[in-house]
Amino acid sequence: MDTARLKRIQALFLEACSVAETDRRAFLQGACGEDAELLATVQAMVAEDARGDSLLDSGVAEIAGDMLGARGESFASRQFGPYRLKKVLGEGGMGVVYLAEREDLGSLVAIKILRAAWLSPARRERFESEQRTLAQLNHPSIARLYDAGTLADGTPWFVMEYVEGVPITDYARQHQCPVEERLRLFRAVCEAVQYAHGHAIIHRDLKPSNILVKASGEIRLLDFGIAKQLESLDQAADQTKTELRMMTPAYAAPEQVRGKNVGIFTDVYALGVVLYELLARRAPFDLSNRTPGEAEKIIADQQPQRPSSVDTRVHATSWADLDVLCLTAMHKDPERRYRTVDALIRDVDHYMKGEPLEARPDTLRYRAGKFVRRNRRAVIASVLGAAAVLGMAAFFTVRLAIARNTAQATAARLGRVQQFMLSLFEGGDKSAAPAEGLRVTTIIDRGYQEARALKQEPEVQAELYRTLGGIYQKLGNLGQADALLSAALAERKSLFGPEHPEVAESLVALGLLRVDQARLDEAERLVREGLDKTRRARPRDDAAIAKATTALGKVIEARGSYDQAIPLLQEAVGLEERIAPASGELAAAVKELADAQFYAGHYDVCDTLNLRALSLHRQIFGERHPLVADDLINLGAVQFERAKYPDAERYYRQALEINQAWYGKDHPEVASTLSMLGRALVFEQRYDEAVSLVEQALAIQERVYGPMHPKVANVLNELGTVALQRERFDEAETRFRRMAEIYKSAYGEHHYLYALAYANLASVYLARKDYGRAEKMFREVVERYTEALSADHLYTGIGQIKLGRALAGEKHYADAETHLLEGYKILTKQTSPSASWLQSARKELVNVYEALNEPEKAAQFRQMVPAAQ
Amino acid sequence: MLSRQALDELFSVTYEELRRLASTVKRKDPSATFTPTALVHEAWLKLAKSPRFASTSPLHFKRIAARAMRQVLVEAARRRLSSKRGGDGGVTFAVVGDAAVETALGREELLALEDALQELERLEPRQALLVESRFYGGLDVAETAALLDVSEATVHREWKVARAWLNHRLREAR
Repeated sequence: MDTARLKRIQALFLEACSVAETDRRAFLQGACGEDAELLATVQAMVAEDARGDSLLDSGVAEIAGDMLGARGESFASRQFGPYRLKKVLGEGGMGVVYLAEREDLGSLVAIKILRAAWLSPARRERFESEQRTLAQLNHPSIARLYDAGTLADGTPWFVMEYVEGVPITDYARQHQCPVEERLRLFRAVCEAVQYAHGHAIIHRDLKPSNILVKASGEIRLLDFGIAKQLESLDQAADQTKTELRMMTPAYAAPEQVRGKNVGIFTDVYALGVVLYELLARRAPFDLSNRTPGEAEKIIADQQPQRPSSVDTRVHATSWADLDVLCLTAMHKDPERRYRTVDALIRDVDHYMKGEPLEARPDTLRYRAGKFVRRNRRAVIASVLGAAAVLGMAAFFTVRLAIARNTAQATAARLGRVQQFMLSLFEGGDKSAAPAEGLRVTTIIDRGYQEARALKQEPEVQAELYRTLGGIYQKLGNLGQADALLSAALAERKSLFGPEHPEVAESLVALGLLRVDQARLDEAERLVREGLDKTRRARPRDDAAIAKATTALGKVIEARGSYDQAIPLLQEAVGLEERIAPASGELAAAVKELADAQFYAGHYDVCDTLNLRALSLHRQIFGERHPLVADDLINLGAVQFERAKYPDAERYYRQALEINQAWYGKDHPEVASTLSMLGRALVFEQRYDEAVSLVEQALAIQERVYGPMHPKVANVLNELGTVALQRERFDEAETRFRRMAEIYKSAYGEHHYLYALAYANLASVYLARKDYGRAEKMFREVVERYTEALSADHLYTGIGQIKLGRALAGEKHYADAETHLLEGYKILTKQTSPSASWLQSARKELVNVYEALNEPEKAAQFRQMVPAAQ
Repeated sequence: MLSRQALDELFSVTYEELRRLASTVKRKDPSATFTPTALVHEAWLKLAKSPRFASTSPLHFKRIAARAMRQVLVEAARRRLSSKRGGDGGVTFAVVGDAAVETALGREELLALEDALQELERLEPRQALLVESRFYGGLDVAETAALLDVSEATVHREWKVARAWLNHRLREAR
């Protein structure tokens, strides 16, 4: 049975139905002839058509009801793979835990089956791969996860080490453990949790029933990561809370009941509650007989009673400290808890050794605040001193204003240190001409010197490095930026541990720098790491997550994977919109998305986005700001792709004016704008003007980025194109060859930009009428584009058209037609096809059809080409 | 225009939501009449608020839900029937319910329909889509026409043909 056969059968059936019943038999016999099978089939179908009682008619409702209806399932079979179920150990709201024995090995395991959870087919694979990570948890105090999977219908199951023990709170009560013993047990629990955190696994559901103590006194933690699987289901449906989570509300952290993101701090909270129970011998909140809504409120808002005041019979050397330990871990605000379980362990140790705790109401943050205020004066004093030396009363220049604004635009969160930095640049006369010798870099360099002296305040120093690094990057000094951002990252890692949100932020910042440095593999790795850490450590709607998501989108876009970048950036825009309706970060995200859409060829969407970004930027920064210039450039770029060159030129000129005023005439941003303007002029055939501008651009980019940087390749592209237009073939060839070399060394042979350079080079041969060579090269171009992008990408289509052109040049018209049509098809499938390319393709097809002597087809395409051509 | 990945996401979310809803239905009121259309509607009410579905129209959602519903029901049918065979080997947890004979027939039919539908998908994907949308998703003629971008007359005709074909196949398989 194939499609053709079925079509025949069906067509015949329809005909038969329209024939009068009395004539049907004869009609069918005539139509089917020898084909007895055909006759039988169609007759059967006609008979079915007359009946009205099939499943398809009655609908699926009845059957569905049965199949999904509960009939009190119980298990009869006792075999579960290689395991034999022996008895039920326990039952919860989510699932059942069985004790089972592995027949061949004789070992006992616990099997947990989550009846109330379902994974869609797509998620099952992910679930199983996540289990592999969990199975790596190998710690004496953590119950091993041996195996996990899903049943045929998606129900998750887990096979775990069977632990014989009692919940930690019961154990402590049964053995009448004194405080020191309880703390010892607690500390062992913390060590296990810390170990898991080190493997980037958060428990999410710590509670006494998950913390067993064996008869030997050893601790075993259960159910690591299982809560994560359930949570991924909840996230899927975007529920803010779920019955699954509310199973044990007494131990749920405030952020959990609110449905916000969990992180290390969530486990810290749970540990705090466990400690509370161990010390006070009761739970911190009485949630019995409360509705879920009431329970939520209590957990989120009500302060627990101090453990020391609950049970006064218990002796402790210093209750005040125990209170602090417990309540710091259990703080409602995740930021105010112990940052890591390690920190909690340290304080437990301090207590046991009789030493003062590190956690104090007056936290590190406040102390640093005082230091910053001290330092600010010191740094300003030195800067003012420098100004005095140079005899400048007002040393704030336009460039300093830039630094201020870019620093603002760069940082989503204005740390206290950044405020200090910005205050350096406050005020001043914007229209004052930049003074010789007193450029931003000098100020920043001084800032750097001051920062280096701040060895006593490593937090402050790290943040200063981060800010300065960002500023250097904006100013184009990538080497210095690299040194500073790397230093900031290293410092933060050693200060806060690898999971801290500030470390995550540094990773993202460094990743973005790598994009500028054209080191894309590293860029992606760093930003992904930063984003993952940020997601773990921050609530879901946090600005840091939005920013990191935008950054990742930007990196993926830079690699040319627009299909991946677009949804990511859409997500980022959504996140930013929820945070603030009109912010610089939102505009940045919109702009990145616009860029990705542009490269993907979706010009209309890109236009809309760019206009939105432009309006946002104007609103926030005013008319003459480089971000406004950027948007103008993007708008120009779309007009350019639509072959509306004078419009593009207009946009570009506006942008150039702004950029030159802001950055000065020698800045890479200006070079980039010059290139684009030059390109538009080329297409308007104003070649001399164009070349002069673009050569300026080349000089700038070579100086700033070095001769092998992709930005230089960009400019070479422009110059090559002009040369080509003017039929200066040797020059064009040189330019394009160099461009290809640069892209090859920066991105590798498989990147689409290399293919693009190669295509341009091939165009030179085409123009020289060296069709044989051009054909070979364009074939390769099409292959490379297909590999790097896709077979139906816009660029591949253009490649096909050029290949067609080369073949036409060789008079291989039939071949030419094939490729031209292929390319044309691809072009027309684009959502906003570029007019110039369509026209070009049509003209070629007209030529080919004329040569093939097919005048009708030629006419067909000729009609579509505007007469003015 | 959604990427493959985004579509898979939407499908997964819809599938899980439908299953969740299905299980709550049975708990609430065992005697309640249960229709997939009602489930799909409920799922839409909930998921429409999610940003994930922001660019999805109700019609497009129904289409995804039809597919998800099909999967949910076919899996449910398979799960029930596998109990008689006592497990398929590998790790299949065999469950026995009070499987009444008359409803077992319904399940077998559904699975037979699934086989036939898969065959039709291979040969005439658009017809299969039509059947899936109407039967599992509860789309009416107007909606189906909008979804497939054809006239209502075409929908009637294609349904007539597909129905006859599938029923013929089902009868053959018995």
